[in-house]
This record gives sequence, structure tokens and C-alpha cells, in this order.
Amino acid sequence: MPESPIIRIDGVTKQFNPGTDRSVTALADIDLTIAEGEFVSLLGPSGCGKSTLLRIMADLTPPTAGSVSLNGKSPATARRDRDYGMVFQQAGLFEWRSVQRNVELPLQVAGVAKQERRAKTAAMLDLVRLPEFARHFPWQLSGGMQQRVAIARALSADPKILFMDEPLGALDEMNREHLQGELLRIWSDTRTTVVFVTHSITEAVFLSSRIVVMSPRPGRIAASIDVDLPYPRTAETRTLPAFFDKITEVREALHGMTVAEDAA
Amino acid sequence: MTAHAGRGRPMLVAGGAWDTARRGLPVTVTALVILGAWQLVVRLFDVPSFILPAPTDIASALVDQLTTILSASRLTVSAVLLGLVSGSVAGILVALVVSRFHRISGPVLGVAVIVNCAPIVALAPIFNNWFGVTSLASKAGVAGVMVFFPVLVNTARGLLQVAPLHLELMESLAARPRQISLMLRLPNALPYLFNALKLGSTLAVIGVIVTEYFGGPSNALGVYIAQQASLPRFAEAWAGILVASLLGLAMFGVMSLLERLLMPWHESVHGGEA
Repeated sequence: MPESPIIRIDGVTKQFNPGTDRSVTALADIDLTIAEGEFVSLLGPSGCGKSTLLRIMADLTPPTAGSVSLNGKSPATARRDRDYGMVFQQAGLFEWRSVQRNVELPLQVAGVAKQERRAKTAAMLDLVRLPEFARHFPWQLSGGMQQRVAIARALSADPKILFMDEPLGALDEMNREHLQGELLRIWSDTRTTVVFVTHSITEAVFLSSRIVVMSPRPGRIAASIDVDLPYPRTAETRTLPAFFDKITEVREALHGMTVAEDAA
Repeated sequence: MTAHAGRGRPMLVAGGAWDTARRGLPVTVTALVILGAWQLVVRLFDVPSFILPAPTDIASALVDQLTTILSASRLTVSAVLLGLVSGSVAGILVALVVSRFHRISGPVLGVAVIVNCAPIVALAPIFNNWFGVTSLASKAGVAGVMVFFPVLVNTARGLLQVAPLHLELMESLAARPRQISLMLRLPNALPYLFNALKLGSTLAVIGVIVTEYFGGPSNALGVYIAQQASLPRFAEAWAGILVASLLGLAMFGVMSLLERLLMPWHESVHGGEA
């Protein structure tokens, strides 16, 4: 088990519209610890609360009960200290800013001096391999490139944690696989802890060091599966028997709960 | 993975002289056909000039009267510019204030939308009474009010209608309200503002000309048109109308140019394809 948990979630419950007849329990009594340097995927069908759990960690929505600690702090403090970076399903770039100025946004908000911002931004664009696009505008980039800019933006302030909410969900299969490889390279270059929300089994297995399988209504953790495939993972990894075995294992964990649910 | 645009340097103002010419050609041809038909109909059916003078008559009246009309235009242009600037500045300022206070923004904008539907130009005689028939303020005032409302409503909309994703991003970055205003709301409102300014620039011309119809200094374009029409010298009146139309067109053109220069990143400017 983790030597030094960077994220600790204790008994987190989330209800929407509590106390009304439209009350929905999105998450019920979630316990989860994530160690520094892990790549953890939250995997589950839509409605299992995986995005909600991520948003609670990021202090973008409060839990109804329970507590979260990020880097030893409350999520609110961690957010103000910019301990995490966030990537959404849509790149969400500011269309009036060049790529470079989009990437430096977190630094600008943090009040970092211009010269330092420029240096940092250049390093980030090297990291996501888009250095020649610094002066382009978002509309001139493909969807995959825009998402890479969003990743550079999320990492520009050197966060300890990277939250990703289905970041590759809007991309086509080819781009998606390419970016999965890029993401692993970036993860190994930066040693950031990644929490990655997805509903794709293959994606979760290829990327993660651990997969947290979630079940819906109410959202619970059904299983936590270590993925012991060695890094660096490449296109070849996708052809290994161990890769397919792991996919089967995860699928059965997901399937088990749907069967149970159907029986109920 | 490919970029749509050429690598290295972003394209700013898209297109080129050739593109513009090619796009302008159908419009020019259409205009020439209409003018030709107009000329033909007037000559063939011997239409009296108080109904419609022929384009050639209007053209020769314009050449004859050019000095008078141009000197009259100078006063009218100053009133238009004054009205446009004051109306826009006031509209932007009120929009900034209103958008800061969510509780009042709804009602205030609702009222603004209703007032905006009223024919504000009908205030022309009132403004002439308030500020004096011959003063610049009465003309610029009507124009200013006409510009104010669309600028207020559009700018406020642009400040308020920010993409939820963008807001959430700023929130995740722990941005302060001031930073959200400066880095997100203001740039987001620019396209809305320019739509209002393009509309407002033509409204300002209408406001000033119509107010001048109700009286003004003898060397104003609206006064000139009204006088020529009552003399009656219709070709001269139409020449004045032509110049007033060109004035509106020029104002619109200046606004579009500003838009292109200030927001080359916007879809309405780059057209989505590089």
C-alpha cells in the first residue's frame, strides 16, 4: 500500500438536492487513498459519480459528508496553493489567446512575472511537443493539439497532482491512442500524480498503475485493481496477453456489478 | 496530426486583395444591374423627378453640389462620431456595473431591451427643444441614446454569458473576481460589443440625419436634404441621401475594420477555415 498518500478520501458522500423528493445520492461513503506518483483511473459507467468524485477532490463542488485531504491540506487550500492542475473533456482554451498565452494563464493568475512565465511556457510546449505553435490561436489547431495545449496549461504551474476528467473523450480513436502514449511520457517526465476519469476499459488499463472501478446508483467503489504491466508502455503493450488478461479482469469487475444490479 | 494553418506564423487578417475582389464582384454586378434597370425605367416611362430621379440626374446633382454637400457632411459627421462615442462609452460603463451585480442585471437588461424596441428617433424634436435646434448636442444626443441601448444589452450579455467550462477553469485556478473579469469576461464580451458597434454606427447616422430633418444649423446634411426636397429639387435631395448612405456604410466599414484588427481570433473574422 502507498508509502505517502497524497490524496486521502474518507467517507465521502454526495447528495444532490438533499432533503427534497428529487434527492439523488451520487456518491455513498467513498474511501480512497492515492500515493504520490500513482496514475489512478476512476472507471465506471456514466452516472457512477466518477466525475463528481473528481470535482470534490478539486474543490469545485463540496461533499455532503466526509473529508478529503490533498497534499496534507483541505481541497480549498490546495486549490488556492495551486497544488493541482485540471484538464477537462473539452480543451476549454480561451479563443482570444494564443497557445502561449493560454498555457501561461495559471502562472498569470498566480502573479508570476512575465519573463518567468515565458520561460516556463516554452518548457511546457516542449513537453507536449508543440513548440512551433506558440503563436497560433486555438482555432488553428486540431482537437488533439488543443487538448495537448490544455495539458500544458494544467502543468504550467508545476502542480503535484493532475486531475483529468475524460480528457480524451472527445477525440477520435487514432488521436486518442496517440495522446495516451504522449500522456504516459509526460507523466514519466513530470512524476505528477494523475487521477484520470474515463469510461474506457482499454484506456484505463493502458494508462493506469491502478484502476478504481466504480458502480452506479449510488456511486461506490466496486474494486481497486493494480495494473502491473511494466512502464514504459508502448504500442506493443497493447498486443501483450497480459494486457488482454487485465482488460478481462477489469471487465469482469465492471460486469459483476451490472449483473448484480440486473438481478436486484 | 495536422494544423489547419501554415506552420510558423499565425494568419492574422485572413484573405487578401484578390479574395476581397472576388467576393465583391457579385455585389458590384448586382448593384450595376439595379442601377441600370432604375435608369431604364425612369427614362422609358418618363417618371417625374418628384417620384424618382434617374441615377444619372442624381449623379450630376451630386457633382454640382459636391462642395455644399461635403461641407454639410462635416457637421453631421461630428455629430455622428460624438453620439457614437458617448453612447458606446456610456453603454459599456453601465454594462460593466450591471454585470457586477447579478441581482439587478436581469431587471435592468429587461428594461433596456424593452426601451430598445421603442423608436428612439422619435425623440428627435424633444432633443431639439432640450438642447437647442442648432446645437451639436441635440443631434449627438439622439444618436447617443440610439447607440447606448444595443451597446448596453450586448456588452452585458457578453460579460455574463461566459462558457461554464471557462468559469470552472478560472475557479480551479483560484482566480480572483477581478482576474475573472479582466482575463475572461472582458475578452468574452468583445465580439458582442463589436456587433453592437456595427449596428450602432449605422443607427447613429440615422439618428443624426432624422434629428436634422426637424431643424438644425443650415450647413448640416439632414437640413440640406429636407430643404432640397421642399424646394423641390429632388435630384439634389437624392444626392444628399446618397452621401448620407455612404456615411453609414463608411461608419460600418470602420467598425468592421476595427473588429478585424482587435479580434483576429474570432470566428466571424477568420471564418473557421484557415
